[in-house]
Amino acid sequence: MNLILFLVGLVIYASYGIGGMAFLAFSLLTAYVAARFVKGRKWVMILTVAVNAALLVFFKVLPYTKLTLIAPFGVSYYTFQIISYLVDVYRGKYEAERNLFWFALYVTYIPHLFSGPIERYDLMCQSLKDKRRITWQSLSDGGLRALWGAFKIFVISAPAGVLLSHMIADPKKFGEYTGAFALFAMLLYAVQLYANFSGTMDVAIGVSRIWGIGLSENFDAPYFSQSFKEFWRRWHITLGAWLRDYIYIPLGGSRCGKVRRVFNLLVTFFVSGIWHGLHYILWGLINGVFVAVGDKLKTRWKPLNIAGTFCLVTLLWAFFIWPDTVTALTMIGSVFTTFNYGALFAALPTMGLSAGGGIAFGVALILLWLFDLKRETLSAKASAFRPEAKVAIAGALTLAILLFGVYGIGFDFGGFVYTGM
Amino acid sequence: MTKKRTLTLLRCLAILMILLLLFAGLNRLVEPKYMTALVEGSMLSQYYREAGGHDVIFVGDCEVYANFSPLELYREKGITAYVRGSSQQLIWQSYYVLKETLRYETPKAVVWNVNAMRYGENAAVIKESYNRLAIDQMRWSAEKVGIIRASMTEDESFLSYVFPILRYHSRIYDLTKEDLTYFFTEQDTTWNGHLMNQEVKPVGSFPAKRPLADYAFPAICYDYLDQMRKLCEEKGVELILVKAPSLYPYWYDEYDAQMEAYASEHNLAFYNFTEMVDELGIDFTTDTYDGGYHLNLAGAKKLSAYFAETLATRHGIPDRRNDPEIKAVYDEKLAQYDEAQKG
Repeated sequence: MNLILFLVGLVIYASYGIGGMAFLAFSLLTAYVAARFVKGRKWVMILTVAVNAALLVFFKVLPYTKLTLIAPFGVSYYTFQIISYLVDVYRGKYEAERNLFWFALYVTYIPHLFSGPIERYDLMCQSLKDKRRITWQSLSDGGLRALWGAFKIFVISAPAGVLLSHMIADPKKFGEYTGAFALFAMLLYAVQLYANFSGTMDVAIGVSRIWGIGLSENFDAPYFSQSFKEFWRRWHITLGAWLRDYIYIPLGGSRCGKVRRVFNLLVTFFVSGIWHGLHYILWGLINGVFVAVGDKLKTRWKPLNIAGTFCLVTLLWAFFIWPDTVTALTMIGSVFTTFNYGALFAALPTMGLSAGGGIAFGVALILLWLFDLKRETLSAKASAFRPEAKVAIAGALTLAILLFGVYGIGFDFGGFVYTGM
Repeated sequence: MTKKRTLTLLRCLAILMILLLLFAGLNRLVEPKYMTALVEGSMLSQYYREAGGHDVIFVGDCEVYANFSPLELYREKGITAYVRGSSQQLIWQSYYVLKETLRYETPKAVVWNVNAMRYGENAAVIKESYNRLAIDQMRWSAEKVGIIRASMTEDESFLSYVFPILRYHSRIYDLTKEDLTYFFTEQDTTWNGHLMNQEVKPVGSFPAKRPLADYAFPAICYDYLDQMRKLCEEKGVELILVKAPSLYPYWYDEYDAQMEAYASEHNLAFYNFTEMVDELGIDFTTDTYDGGYHLNLAGAKKLSAYFAETLATRHGIPDRRNDPEIKAVYDEKLAQYDEAQKG
C-alpha cells in the first residue's frame, strides 16, 4: 500500500510539472544524505538548511522577476518539513532515516503537499511504517471527515468566493468597492479562506485516516480565539508550531527580556510573512505586534475578546485580498471612513449568488459555526455513531455538496495562498 | 456473520438504496425538461416515441427542423418522414444522430443539410449550451457516448452528461412548474420533428458579404460526411444533400462548388435551395419568422411541397396513403397539425 501511495503521489506531483520534481528530488536527496552525516556536524545542518531555505526564498521572489520558472508544487510545505527533520536529527531527537523510501514517502506524501499539515518526521513515520489496513472504522471516520471538508469547500468557501470575486476581480474597479464593500470583502474572505483551508485539511486528514495514516490537526476553531496569541495556536497549527520550535525558541523565545521577546516574535512572524510570500511581510509583522501586546488588550468578557480578535484578524486578511500593500491599507482605512451600507445591500442581489444560493450559503455557515462551537463533542460522538447513521450522514453530505455546492462550468476555484505553495 | 451484523448491513443497504433513489430523483428534478421553454432541447428525444416507419429521415441543424415539414411532405405526396434536427447541429453530431436513427429503422433516404460543412472542430459556434440542447435528452447508447466525446468543449466533463446534477445543480434555486409537471412525462413539441413557427418578420439587413481567406471545408467535416455516406451505403439508404434556403450565414459559391464536387464524385444528389428561391415561390417578406435566417410555416410549406415532388419523382419515395394503418396515423396527425395552425 505504501508503494502505491508513493507512486500515485509521484504521478499526481508530475502532473503539476516535471521540472518541479527535479527541485523536489534535490531537496529530498540533500536532506536524506545530510541527515546521515549531520550528527556532531553543525555546519552540515546549517549548509543544507541554508541551501533549501535559499531555494524557498528564491521561489518566493520568483513572481517578482521576469523568469518563467514555475515554483515546485508544495515547496513551502516540503522545505519546512525537511528543515525540521534535519534540525531534529542534529539535535538527537531521533536517528536519521536509513531507508530512502520511507523518507521519500514522508516528504512526498501527496495529501499534505497541497495545503499541509507540516508534519514532523517522528510523528508521521510510525504511522507510515505501521502495518495498516482499511477497516470499517477507518473508512467511516475518514470518509465522514473528508466529506465534511468537501462540504466546507464547495458549499461554504466557493459561494463566498463568488460574492468576493464580484468586488475584486477587476483591479480597475477597486475604487467602487470601498467602505462597507471592503468590510464585506474581508468578512467573505475570512469565511472563504477558513472554509477552504480547513476543508482541505479535513479532506487530507480524512483520506489519510481511511488508509490508516494519522495527520496532525491544523485548525481548532480559530475564530473563537480570544487573542492573537491564541489565534496563532489554533490557525494553521503545524506552521505555528514549526515557527515556534525552529525560529522563536532557538532565538530565545520568551525566556529573555521583554524587548528581546518582542524582537523574537517579530522575527518569527517576519519569517511567517515571507513563507506566505514577499507581499505578506507587513502582515506578518503586524500579527507579531498583536501577538506581543494581545494579552494586554483582553477583557474579562469572553464574547468581546472573541469578537475583537475576529474583527482584527479579518481586517488583516486585507493583505491577502488586494494585490498590494497600499491598496490593502487603503481598504482597511475605508472601513472606518466610508459608510455605504445602503449601496452594499442594494448591490447584493447582483453579486452572482441567487437568493436561494444565499440562503443555502447562510445555512451552511450556521452549520459550520455550530460544528466549530461543539467540535470536540461532535467529533467524539460521530466516531461512535451506528453504521446506519454514518451511511445516512455521508449520503446527506454528498447530496448537499452535489446540490448546493458551487462548482462546474464557469466556476474557478482561484488561487489560494495556501494551496500547493 | 452474526444476526446483529446482518441486520446492520441490511439497514445500511436500505439507506443506500433510499439515497440512490434520492440522487436519481434530484438528477431528474434539476435537469431542464425543454417542454415549454427552449423546446429545441426535446426535439431529438421526441423521436423515440415515434421511431420507425419513415421513408425519409432529415438530419441537420435549425435550417432543417424549421424549413422542412414532414407532414406537408405527407400531405403532398404521402411521404412518411421525420426530422432529427437540433440547434446548431454540427456534422459529427449529425453522424451520431444518423447512426442512432439507423438502429431504429432503415429509411429509403436520408436528407442532410450541408450548412454544417463550414464548422470544423475550432468553429466559434461550438458552445456547451448547444451541445446540451442536442445531447441531454438522447437515450443512452453507444451513439450518445460517441456524440458526447465528439462534442465536449474543453470545460465540459463526460460525467456531467451521465449525472445532470453536476451541470444543473444550481437550477435547484430556479425550478419552475415545468420541472414538476414533466418530471415523469414528456409532451410532443414538434410535428414529426418540424418546429412550427407562424410568426412573420420580414427580411432585414445582414453583415456585408466579405470574401473569406479560406473557403475550404475543414478536413474533419469531410471525414464525417464520408462516414455518413458509408453508413448509408451499408444500410442501402440513399443520402441526399441539401442546402436549405436561408439568407444568412452566406452560402458562398466556393462552398457550393465543393459540395457539387463531392456530390458528383460520389453520385449523390445535391439540391441548393438558396438558388431556387424564386422557383420555390419563397418571399422573404412573408415566409420567414426571423428576418431571413429561417423559414416560417408558410415558407416551410412551399419548400416541403416542392421537395415532396422531388423526392417522389426523382428518388422514388413511395406514396403511403394507400396503407390504411399509415393513413390513419397521419390523417390524425394532419388534423392536429392543421388545428394547431389556427392558433
